[in-house]
Amino acid sequence: MILTGAAITRAVAAGDIVIDPFATERVNPNSYNYRLGHEIHEVVMEGEGQPEASHVRLAPDGGRYLLRKGRFYLGHTLERIGSAHYVTSLIGRSSIGRLGLFVQLSANLGHQGAVHRWTLELLPALDIYVYPGQVIGQVSFWNIQGAPAPYAGWYGRHDRPMPSKLHQPSAEPPRASQPLTRTGESQ
Amino acid sequence: MILSGPEIRRQVENDVITVTPFEPEHLNPNSIDLTLEDTVLRYCNPVIDPREEQEVQEVKIPSTGLQLEPLGFCLGSSRETVGSAEFVPMVHAKSSTARAGLFVHVTADLIDIGSVGTVTFQLFSTLPLTVYPGMRIAQMTFWRPQGEIILYSGKYQGSKGPRKSMIFRDPFWQSLPVHG
Repeated sequence: MILTGAAITRAVAAGDIVIDPFATERVNPNSYNYRLGHEIHEVVMEGEGQPEASHVRLAPDGGRYLLRKGRFYLGHTLERIGSAHYVTSLIGRSSIGRLGLFVQLSANLGHQGAVHRWTLELLPALDIYVYPGQVIGQVSFWNIQGAPAPYAGWYGRHDRPMPSKLHQPSAEPPRASQPLTRTGESQ
Repeated sequence: MILSGPEIRRQVENDVITVTPFEPEHLNPNSIDLTLEDTVLRYCNPVIDPREEQEVQEVKIPSTGLQLEPLGFCLGSSRETVGSAEFVPMVHAKSSTARAGLFVHVTADLIDIGSVGTVTFQLFSTLPLTVYPGMRIAQMTFWRPQGEIILYSGKYQGSKGPRKSMIFRDPFWQSLPVHG
């Protein structure tokens, strides 16, 4: 079952759901509005033959970022979100979907137990400005049936936009274990 | 828990779920199909600033169909008025729609409990696809919630036809610095 807004608020107060920071004005009838974090990277494929991804951190222009249609970006939620008791589903909100901005690419399901700032997969269908701190999407929380499995994943330990480790064979890839930086840029 | 098709029908007949007009043949094992209204909206500005109200252009879909551009974006809507004060609706593409490369929403599948109106489809086509008024383009599921219900009373309540984003009206902008 999906939790109502009142049930989400109660679970946050009881410590069964983490939404940090939490504000009651961002509670919806059956979800919670999260905000856009301050770090956005464009994923650029470079090289002939088998191009490799590099991640170029965007520079804010007057407190906002311009996302271009047809390009692909990784951002993150401002809030740390997760639960050991419920399953989190991260989606956009209709006010952003109506402007053509995907905030996630068919990967809404979070692992129970992961509590972190979630990486957002930003794909604009139109050129659009986004503002760090703006409300950009929603999370909903779902009951489970059966014994929960302990979460031991990798992405869920990070609070910044994390690159895909699709092509990294090991669980702890040396390159991808670093948060995103511009190629050659030092942290 | 997700409702079955027969349970959706029962809840429509009991006025707990609104699907108007209701066509029993649109019921599926766990959902009900939604059909496409004949109006689409396109944004006029080359760059969207969500802080500002966006102008849109309204286009009618002729009975001969409207071809969507590859990687183009526009807003359509369901013909049906849908909602529920007891169940949470979610919108999905029909798999036939998705197999033709068309998204019907842009990561915004979840509908607030208590919201009643037409569904605005966020149409993102990956191919040059022709759409027709009345085609079965999407489906809606209904989910039982847990917890006290506080009904939706937001800015899209009572929508008729496609509604552009009203995010510029959100109060949170006042807490963010003004550009420039």
